[in-house]
Amino acid sequence: MRDQTNVKLRLSNSELWGGLIGLALGGFVIWSGLKLKLGTINDPGSGYVLFYTGILMCVFAGSIIISAITEGGPTLASRWENVRWSKPLLVIACLAAFSFALEPLGFLLSSIPLLLLLLRLIDPVRWTLAIPIAVLVPSGMWWVLKRLLLIQLPSGLFGIG
Amino acid sequence: MDTLVNVAHGFGVALLPINLLYCFIGVFIGTLVGVLPGIGPISAMSLLLPVTLSGTPESGIIMMAGIYYGSMYGGSTTSILVNIPGEAASVVTCIDGHQMAKQGRAGPALGISAFGSFIAGTFALVALMLVAPKLASIAIAFGPAEYFSLMVLGLVVLTFLTQGSMPKALLMACIGVVLGLIGLDSITAQPRLTFGRMELIDGIGLVPVVMGLFGVAEVLLNTEQAIKRDIINAKITHLLPTKADWQASTGPVARGTLLGFLLGILPGGGAVVASFASYALEKRLSKTPERFGHGAIEGVAGPESANNAAAGGAFIPLMTLGIPPNVVMALLLGAFVIHGLQPGPLLITQNPGLFWGIVASMYIGNVMLLILNLPMIGMWVQLLKLPYNILFPLIILFTILGVYCSSNNVFDVYVMIAFGIIGYFMRKLGYEPAPLVLAFVLGPMLENNLRKSLILSQGDLWTFVQRPISAACLSLALVLLIAPLLPALRKKRELVALDEGA
Repeated sequence: MRDQTNVKLRLSNSELWGGLIGLALGGFVIWSGLKLKLGTINDPGSGYVLFYTGILMCVFAGSIIISAITEGGPTLASRWENVRWSKPLLVIACLAAFSFALEPLGFLLSSIPLLLLLLRLIDPVRWTLAIPIAVLVPSGMWWVLKRLLLIQLPSGLFGIG
Repeated sequence: MDTLVNVAHGFGVALLPINLLYCFIGVFIGTLVGVLPGIGPISAMSLLLPVTLSGTPESGIIMMAGIYYGSMYGGSTTSILVNIPGEAASVVTCIDGHQMAKQGRAGPALGISAFGSFIAGTFALVALMLVAPKLASIAIAFGPAEYFSLMVLGLVVLTFLTQGSMPKALLMACIGVVLGLIGLDSITAQPRLTFGRMELIDGIGLVPVVMGLFGVAEVLLNTEQAIKRDIINAKITHLLPTKADWQASTGPVARGTLLGFLLGILPGGGAVVASFASYALEKRLSKTPERFGHGAIEGVAGPESANNAAAGGAFIPLMTLGIPPNVVMALLLGAFVIHGLQPGPLLITQNPGLFWGIVASMYIGNVMLLILNLPMIGMWVQLLKLPYNILFPLIILFTILGVYCSSNNVFDVYVMIAFGIIGYFMRKLGYEPAPLVLAFVLGPMLENNLRKSLILSQGDLWTFVQRPISAACLSLALVLLIAPLLPALRKKRELVALDEGA
């Protein structure tokens, strides 16, 4: 029986995608190296090491692609099989939202909801425990850093924190 | 005689109350992260890297070193009692350690692991004291060509030993070099890959990269599965091994110590390889190899001694050559750099207090660890019951705060989150972050030494092969690069491949 999770020349082959991303990055590094000037072998310029590292990246990425085509590789879906894939995605979404909120809202107003969401989303902690932790831990950390260690944390548009 | 005077000077530094406190905090946190599965010494050290800013260089580095060797002790507790390795170097201890615990011999397993670790740790320190100054005096004669070749060898060895395909590991190392080169060129002061962002002029910080790749990514990976624990609940008694246990363990401890120390010195090697190699050696030497896997005490004594000896040995290339042999040492190099210090051949002569202070603190730390890990074992067992659904969100909050405090810059928090997400997808696709981080640290030094050697030799590439040390390093690197192409050697590589990130 054919293994459905190991494919060769298919767009779902995760190894192929990894190699292609590496190849694109390598191409970009080569281009950046050329733009920065290579210099000569007697006096290498700023782009010298970048250029040759880019070439090496393309070689290694090419080798990954060739092996993906000839030997096949696991599908993208199989990489997330039998795991709770939604959990890391939720954490990533929370972190992305936090990074947008940190500067406008400040540390306290952004970290309390972040912690509460994480406590409830990963493996739900009961509300009676999650709320005190989400409020007390960031507030405590803020107090220690700001009052004791005199570290200025982002206070946001509202000046809270 | 000089060594004794230096050691006395070192103890003078290490016994200062503030350094004792930092040493205790280091070994305590080390044991803690060693005990807790999912959080390794790399995550903990990256989390605490900003904390080193607040004290003297001695205090900060003593604490960071304590976390490393402390985690080697703590890792065995989880392996023996829960059958989950607390950190990567304790994977092998699970095999026989947990079997011993199931047979009601958790006490001797924990005991021999702590005593073996103590003996190996102490031996590694004595050897470090004797070897490091001699190697440093030789290393003064090293030129840029030797440094370049040594760094290439370090990167190749690490990629060789990393799990998964070698092209992937090499690609990661190249990406690490490129990331390390972001910012102003150290020779021409030309901005590189800054995309017009002022924040990138000084380059990307080590702290956000490591915290993202190891801290955040580790949490993301761990959230995928509910962590199940099979804790041995019986009361742990008889921690002191019997006479028969000692008889069976003396050889493995001695061999593990020597092997671990030698493997620890090698660039790219380290505690994980040492523990696997020691287990394989003991099984091969044993008259009754069939007992291995069914609770043989030699299977605990050897690897546990080896990983602690390797942790001590790994300090030698960092302290004498300024080249970190593995990711943990790269973080320690970061701590040195944060304090404006450059480890290398001149460190021992220019900063004797720092070098000998760190070495002496490691003696003290080893004694602290013995006390922490034997009489207080019950406390660590209780800790294994800590709920992860509370721990993981807190780790994320601490990483955010840690990154922000290290630079007072919100941009670094964004960098960390980005690297956390990238690190998660990298791991899912089978790309290990360890070569990337080591190359990130070595990248600027590698470039600098390459360009310097080319300028000095007026573009003559033969300079790398005409110098014996450089030629030897490059030849070995070449052999390791070719090795995976040969089926027999590829199999060997798969056997010793390690997961540095764990």
